[in-house]
Order: sequence, then C-alpha cells, then structure tokens
Amino acid sequence: MAENGDKQTGPEPSNRVVIGVTFGNSNSSIAYTVDDKAEVIANEDGDRQIPTVLSYADGDEYYGAQAKAFLVRNPNNTVAYFRDFLGQEFKSIDPTHCHAAAHPQEAEGTVSFTIKDKDSEEDASTVSVPEISVRYLRRLFGAATDYLGKKVTSAVISVPTNFSEKQREALISAAKEAEVEVLQLISDPVAAVLAYDARPEAEVKDKIVVVADLGGTRSDVAVVASRGGMYTVLATAHDYDFAGVHLDNALIEYFAKEFIKKHETDPRSNPRSLAKLRAESEATKKALSLGTNAQFSVESLADGYDFSVTINRIRYEMVGRKVFEGFNRLVEGVVKKAGLDVLDVDEVIMCGGTSHTPRIANNFRGIFPETTAILAPATSTVAINPSELQARGAALQASLIQEYEAEDIEQSTHPAVTTVKHISNAIGVTTVGPDGEAFTPVMAAETAVPARRTVHIPAPKEGGDVLIKVVEAGTHIKVTKPEPKEKEEKEEDEDDSDFDSDEEEEETREKIWKIGSALAEAAIRGVKAGSKVEVTINVAADLSVIVTAREVGGKGGVRGNLKAP
Amino acid sequence: PVLPEGWTGEKDFKSLGQLSGAVERSIEPVGPHFLAHARRARHRRTFSEDDRI
Repeated sequence: MAENGDKQTGPEPSNRVVIGVTFGNSNSSIAYTVDDKAEVIANEDGDRQIPTVLSYADGDEYYGAQAKAFLVRNPNNTVAYFRDFLGQEFKSIDPTHCHAAAHPQEAEGTVSFTIKDKDSEEDASTVSVPEISVRYLRRLFGAATDYLGKKVTSAVISVPTNFSEKQREALISAAKEAEVEVLQLISDPVAAVLAYDARPEAEVKDKIVVVADLGGTRSDVAVVASRGGMYTVLATAHDYDFAGVHLDNALIEYFAKEFIKKHETDPRSNPRSLAKLRAESEATKKALSLGTNAQFSVESLADGYDFSVTINRIRYEMVGRKVFEGFNRLVEGVVKKAGLDVLDVDEVIMCGGTSHTPRIANNFRGIFPETTAILAPATSTVAINPSELQARGAALQASLIQEYEAEDIEQSTHPAVTTVKHISNAIGVTTVGPDGEAFTPVMAAETAVPARRTVHIPAPKEGGDVLIKVVEAGTHIKVTKPEPKEKEEKEEDEDDSDFDSDEEEEETREKIWKIGSALAEAAIRGVKAGSKVEVTINVAADLSVIVTAREVGGKGGVRGNLKAP
Repeated sequence: PVLPEGWTGEKDFKSLGQLSGAVERSIEPVGPHFLAHARRARHRRTFSEDDRI
C-alpha cells in the first residue's frame, strides 16, 4: 500500500518521463511536451478527452469512451463521476450524478462501489474509490506510455482550487500506486493561464485574468492576478448547479417532450431509455457547439420506437437559457468577490468542455468591456481548445520541474516561499497630460514582492530639468451619465439600469486613477529635447523601495531609497 | 513635470513617504517566473545578482 510509510524515492531526475494530467469528474486528459510545446495525447480509442469512467463486463475492464458506452447496457458495473469522492467521507459526498451508474456506498469508512469486476463470478466485490482511481489512472498512464513508447514515471496533475489536503494526499497516493510519481499538484485555473502564457507569441504582462472553468458536473471560476509571470489567485467560486450536465438535462427535457408528443410514453421513466437519451443529448450538445444544426437520433429509444429529430442552435440556446444566465452570474459574482470591477479584467480564459458553447462566450463578451479579451473559440482566433488547457499547463509545468530533485520541489513550493506580501496600491509616476496631472503606473496593485519594474516616460518636449514624482495610486470607477433629460437621478446602483425599460442612453463607466500619497521626488537635470526618462522601481520583500531614474541613453541618474514601513 | 525653480534634494532625491499597504497572499508555485523567484528566495539573491549569473 502507498501509505505504509517507506519513503520510496522516485526515479532519478535524468531518467524521468513526464506528462501533464488533468483528472476530472467527467473527463481526463494527458499531455506531454515536445520542443517546449505541449501536445495533448490521444488514447488508443483516439480520444483526447477521455471520459473518467471505468466499467466491467465479463471480467474485462474498460475505461474511457468504451466504459461510458456501457452506461446504457451495464450501468450497475460501471463507475463514473468518482473524482470528487476521493479523500472524502461518505456523508459529505453528493451522489446525484452516480444515479445512472454504480451507486456509491459506505464501506469501512470509505466511499465504495459494489461491482462485478471478476470473470464469471456471481458475487460482486466491493471496490473503494481510491482503488477505482488507481485502476483508472493506471489505464490513463498506460495510454501515455503506449503513445510515448517509454514508461511514464512522473506527472504533474491539476486539481481544483478547493481540493482539500486530504483529497490531495489521496490523489498522490493513488497515482503512486499506479506507479507514477506526482511531481506537483497545481491548481486548474493557473494551469490554464500557464498554457496561454507559455506560447511563444505571448508576452509577460501585468494583467487580471478571469478563468472560467466550465465542466461537466461543476463550474469553477477564479480571478488571477498575473504579475510579471507570477500568478496569485485573488478569488474563487465553485458551483455545482450550472455545468454541462445541466445543459444536457435541458436537452433531455426538450427531446423527451417531443417524444411524448409523438408516442405518448415518457423515455425518462425507464432507466435504459434515459441513459440513451442522456448519451445522445450530450452528443447533440457537442454538435451544436460546432454547427448551427444537429441531428438527435436514437434507435429504439422507448417502447421499441426509434426517434429522430433535428434541433438548431437558436432553439438550443432558448432551451438552455437558464443555465447560460447562471454562468453569467457566477462570473460576475467572483469578479465582485475579488473586489474588482469588470473594467479591471484584462482577459477571460474559458476552459473546460462546456466552454466550447458559443453562446456562453458571446454572453461573456456582453458582460465585459471591449478591451477585455475573451479567449474562447467563438470569440477569439488565437484561443486554444478549452478542453486541453489544463493538461497542457500541467505538461508545461512538468517539463519545467522534471530536472529538480523531489526535495527541491518541496522546498520551493513551501508556504515560506509562496506566501509573500502583495502591494495594495499601484506605484507610478505623475506626468503632465493634456488635462493636468496624470498617473502612469509602473507597478500594478497586487504585485508580489520582491518585484522590479521599469517604464520609459517621455520628457517634456523642450527638454530641460525634469521632476520625477513617485506616488501611490488606486483605481476607481467613474460613472458618467449622459445628460439626464427628464429622469431624476437615483441610479446609485449600477444594476438599476438593467431594469430600465427605456434605456436608450447608456451611462459610460471608465476606470480612472486616483492619486494617493507621494513617495519620492527626483530631479533629472538637463534632459535633451524629445528624450525619454527611464524610471525603475524596485520593491524589496520588506516593502522598502529603491527608485532609480535616468535619461534614456544618459549616464548616471538619480537613485534613492525609501525605508520599509 | 518640469522641475520647479528652487527645488532641492540630497543628491537630487527627496524621500517623501513609504508604501502604505500590503496584503499577505500566496503566489501559485507554477511557471518559469515563479521558479526564478523561488531560486532567488532560497539563495537570498537580489534581482541584479540573479541577472549576472
């Protein structure tokens, strides 16, 4: 067993074969890196999104898409949606999604399933969730090993941000038992950000990123501050009521009603018919993400009747409207939770299978200002496949740390290293703009220290002596209402405007800098006309500041220290 | 802005204040820039020392 305490050392760093893994409730993926680029690996069925399902028939084990197909004919010996049960107590799990598959039970304190997993034996065996995970992971790692032609030894696995310590430990020991060393567990949203930032054309910028991970049975949204390529999660939200299965359910409802109109039996009243309905509804949903029309057809759906009908995307968007609106509220809620406004968000990264849905991306487009990039296939040409982001991010991280000793990784990820101060206000310099004093940020708020930033500021046209004023600043949202014609002013709350029926003139909201306390002044003398001044701000871990300013191309310059508070 | 007449400071620099606020947060231990940060933190190097290596 994994927990018997003997500290088995992993393979030598030089002998490692590493992959990135996402282990989801609904689907899992594996990826590897080649020439610093991440590639997602297809298993022997040709699937890159491999269903997290394990099934037994006549003693043979099936996983992935093959196992998922058995949900129709062999549901009792098929285990699905078990990832979130790992490391959990029986009373805290939600077995809803397992209704159509093997049911979870309590056995010896752990969550277990009773399945016939042995050849022709009549009595079923009780298999615990950790054991199910081991068996599934073994198949997953096996698929990667087959593809790479080398035994996979190590992996980085991405997990949700609210995965408890117990769940993490359970996952690590399950992987270990499946003979793969876990180098690191990284969180899902950060894996997605890394997958984008690691592209060669990406440049490291200070930005606020919202990662909307819309999955099968859950949706997770995180606000991430990306500062100099380092990521800090500012807020997260987890939702189990608005996810892919709820869109499937909406379609199931719709198709079932159509079927009843024709044949007067409800296909939802029979488990097998419902399983067929569910499988085909999911397939139709996927088709509607790609095309504007899709065919739904099931042979012998109920009472021996075949059923075939087409549905267009507009109809689907009406059917799923409630769920789509749920996603909007989820994203708006988490931005608010981070103490931010939609205007503060620079990028929205959409990941998870449900992010393929064009309507969701278009709705997000409507929530955020035009300057915000919505990275989804429907709204961006540079978007990466949302289903592959986390596996790619994990693979990239795996390739970065594969040379490290396990001990080094542990020390580097220790809270003493990761918990640092983040500045609350932006630091920058004031410049003279067309309308008075303006603020040019040098270091954004929420930057982890120690940090260093440099900017080039144009000096006054005529040159001469220049004063560099270093100040702190915060942002706030300025709401400019159009000239009020007859309505009296009462819309303090910005949500009010949504309910106004005659909303012809929209108020404009913009982000403006509010200059706070002054930090330092420096004089640069004799700057040439049309020249620029370079200002470097270096904040140390104790919040002391070093300011350096000089003319670009000039020598010397001014340098000064601010004491730590 | 243009330097006002009669502005003076020691070595042309005048310190006026200190950073007002900071919050302790956790950085995600992911990505090349974090690994560089961890390397600096563990060896107690500054940015410029790290640049030279």
